[in-house]
Amino acid sequence: MTSSSQEKPPLLDVKGLSVDYGLKGVPSRAIDSVSFALRAGEAVGLVGESGSGKTTTAMAIAGLLSPNARVSKGEVRYRGEQLPIDDDASMRPHRWSETSVVFQGAMNALNPVHRIIKQIAEPCMLKLGMSRGEATARARELLELVGIPADRGSAYPHELSGGMRQRVMIAMALACRPSIIIGDEPTTALDVITQAQILKLLGELRSRLGLALILITHDLSVVAECCDRVMIMYAGRIVEDGTVAEIFAQPKHPYTRLLIESIPNPASGKKMIRPIPGDPPNLVNRPSGCAFHPRCPSVMAVCATEVPSLDQFGRGRVACHLYRSSQEDKVAVHA
Amino acid sequence: MNGGGTSRHIGRIIIRAIVTLLMVAILNFILFRVIPGDPAKLLLGGARTSVTAEQIEAQRQNWGLNRPLFPDQLVDYLSATVRGDLGYSFKFRGRHVADLILERLPATIILVGIAQLTAIVIGVMVGIYAGWRRGGTLDNLATGSSLLLYSTPSFWMAMILVVIFSTSLGWFPGYGAYSPGAITGFLGSFLDYLRHLTLPVTAVALGLIGQYVVVARAAMSDVVTEDYMVTARAKGLTGGQMLMRHAFRNAMLPVVTLITLNLGYVVAGAITVEAVFAWPGIGGLTVEALNARDYPVLQGIFLLLGASIVVANLVADLAYGLLDPRVRQ
Amino acid sequence: MSESTVRYSQRGGARAMKGFLRQFLSYGGAQVGLVCLVFFLVVAPIPNILVGPLQTAINATGDFLAPPSGEHLLGTDEVGRDVLNLVVHGARISLTIALLATVISLIVGTTVGITAGYYGGRVDVWLMRLTDFFFVMPSFVLALVITPVVLEVMGRGGEILGFRPSPFVILVVIGLTSWAFVARIVRSQTLSLKERTFIDRARVAGSSNFSIMVRHILPNLVPQIAANGALVVAGAIYVETSLSFLGLGDPLQPSWGTLLSLAQRAGAASAGAWWYLGAPGVCVLTVSLSFVLIGNALDDTFNPRRRVIP
Repeated sequence: MTSSSQEKPPLLDVKGLSVDYGLKGVPSRAIDSVSFALRAGEAVGLVGESGSGKTTTAMAIAGLLSPNARVSKGEVRYRGEQLPIDDDASMRPHRWSETSVVFQGAMNALNPVHRIIKQIAEPCMLKLGMSRGEATARARELLELVGIPADRGSAYPHELSGGMRQRVMIAMALACRPSIIIGDEPTTALDVITQAQILKLLGELRSRLGLALILITHDLSVVAECCDRVMIMYAGRIVEDGTVAEIFAQPKHPYTRLLIESIPNPASGKKMIRPIPGDPPNLVNRPSGCAFHPRCPSVMAVCATEVPSLDQFGRGRVACHLYRSSQEDKVAVHA
Repeated sequence: MNGGGTSRHIGRIIIRAIVTLLMVAILNFILFRVIPGDPAKLLLGGARTSVTAEQIEAQRQNWGLNRPLFPDQLVDYLSATVRGDLGYSFKFRGRHVADLILERLPATIILVGIAQLTAIVIGVMVGIYAGWRRGGTLDNLATGSSLLLYSTPSFWMAMILVVIFSTSLGWFPGYGAYSPGAITGFLGSFLDYLRHLTLPVTAVALGLIGQYVVVARAAMSDVVTEDYMVTARAKGLTGGQMLMRHAFRNAMLPVVTLITLNLGYVVAGAITVEAVFAWPGIGGLTVEALNARDYPVLQGIFLLLGASIVVANLVADLAYGLLDPRVRQ
Repeated sequence: MSESTVRYSQRGGARAMKGFLRQFLSYGGAQVGLVCLVFFLVVAPIPNILVGPLQTAINATGDFLAPPSGEHLLGTDEVGRDVLNLVVHGARISLTIALLATVISLIVGTTVGITAGYYGGRVDVWLMRLTDFFFVMPSFVLALVITPVVLEVMGRGGEILGFRPSPFVILVVIGLTSWAFVARIVRSQTLSLKERTFIDRARVAGSSNFSIMVRHILPNLVPQIAANGALVVAGAIYVETSLSFLGLGDPLQPSWGTLLSLAQRAGAASAGAWWYLGAPGVCVLTVSLSFVLIGNALDDTFNPRRRVIP
């Protein structure tokens, strides 16, 4: 699928992953045939509206699918080995040691009744087998690393500002020296200035520690600031995948184009965000063919009947009937 | 965290407790003046006792009953209450109400204390587990039976226990605290006491267990949906670690509050159960006082119950403060 | 969310009602509770038709403490009265006391809560101080000391509104001491409602404070009041039964609690007369369980997130 021609397997390789949620006997497909690879140290943005499947994708990679979710197809490989992502107990050693998560809205993601130092030290003790003293020392180090004076470690989450709490989340995510950090809307609840500081911190730590970063967001401008590559998701599928520069300069999928146009641009004086017309797709009753066709400005007859596959186009990938040559078309009818 | 917030928090709790106790005492004062008959005579042991005019006059002087009701008499009444002077019993001629109550108090403390501790340990454990494994077999079983226990009046439970375990099976005595006669020796009478204690404690505890299971389960099923539980899972904690390190303490917060909210249930349960078993405690005294219309004793009991409820609330508020750093501000 | 659900459109109201009923009846507990409750509500008003007039020691028909038989389905008591007769009459008395006490409690609680929330300021502070007292002090404990004193003042003879003095006093005292929880909830709802635009509109249109409270705020409080009302009934039954058991009831108008008190005095438990103490106890248990189940289901229906009891 990917163009990576290196001999070493990629750090993370997601192959045709489909996840269903059981909704009273009627399973709804949250993500459908998602495939991508992540190299060590790479920063990828995963962008889409709510319900696009970006969070399910991330949670599947982290082995955090909820009990009513089921992996119906595909696999996730980490350093070449398949991850038991639908087996809660077998995933436990992988969690936090290899992949950690910075959740959104850190007020609720931190336990309100424990001091932050204890929450940072906890995975060091439980996963790395450190003593309480060693773990506390490590936690103090981590706090300094994310720009919080180590003495603030005795504070409780509610005593910190939103930006500070998000820094604590980041420190906690670094505790077991993982290879991948997933940022699940890590800056959503923050004001613009704090948001920029947190993104800058994430970017610095990533390059310093050689971490791979998967950034989940609905906000393309966040991705522009700190990712190498971006994948756009719509209704459970990846519709476009490319480098940040390419996607912003030459968006291919009509949905991507509309997303970029909807970013408020202070320079051009447009204050109002122009929303994409139409309703977000309903997962239980997904539109036929390309799920975006009811809202698509460039819709064609074929779009309502055939699901476009995610194919190589230029240096990236796109899933849209507009970008298929007529020869390919005939071959791929029953893909 | 910071000392100022904490002491201000504790100060506010204590002031609220004192205001509540003051209102209990004022209510007592009003009720006592409302009862028909001469208060001086009532204070000397009720309408049916014969006292001399001098005694009544002395009592009037002593209590300032010739002075205006408010504020003089109220102030006197309150200061007497604070000193522990609650007047004399009607029924037990010439005995101080405070003495009567103190005499009966240990039996009740033992009964309620053991029942409470048992119920909290069992009820909270079962409830926490049921909420953690919500929808499981044990959850359905525990929820169903605890709603049933919760809706059963404790004294009725006591009567049923007597019918089954005392009258039919003869395993435990169903009356009083000691067997009359033969048993001697420390160990013998201690075991005898325990045997007498079994059914009353069970009756009070069963109702409480129902209540605590219901409350702890509800609290736990809210906690498991919290974001920090997802964080704990992402950190690679096992189920047991998530439960003990992250869920338990948060689930205890509403449990502490709800337990104090239902203190009336404990009091009603204990008093009526004591009445069933003729347990020589406050409940038995209450029934005697009700039957003999012994108002000073009844009011003394009211003051005692009020004070213990206020103290229980105080303890719960302080415990909540210890459990939850957020309220200390 | 429910800003205008109750009072703005008749047809919308009917549809909301239907949706509410479907949701409410989807709870198993609500179904069980409703069935039991309907049974007792059918039996309670017509005891004379079902089992004849209330038996006394004079017109008692059976042996003393006879176990259940074809003639006396639930056996007899210590003076030969039919227990079924007593229990069916007890239903009327117990349910009337509990429901009237709840009505008083809801009226007081709603009035205090709306007034405190709507006017705010010092009115709010003082009303809430009063509410705090009744919130901390259990209804049972207050009733235990107030009821006998009031009875002493009124005398225990005669009738008031068809009640003997002691059931009447008990129901009034329970009603007047169990409203604090309702008042707190109503107040917090009122606080959030009075900031809504439709209240401003009414104020601009010249509605009086009283009319805003009764016509605009009160209808929106109905869900909370209903859910808590069911729990107040369960509590009232519990308190009434306990007080009557301690001897505050009236043997001429025996509630279930009074029957249990009589059974206790007659030594029914040590005599093994399970039918005598079993029948009223099962009735109390069933009715209070029904109200708890209904209250929980109502609460779940109106606000699925916040649940005190499963």
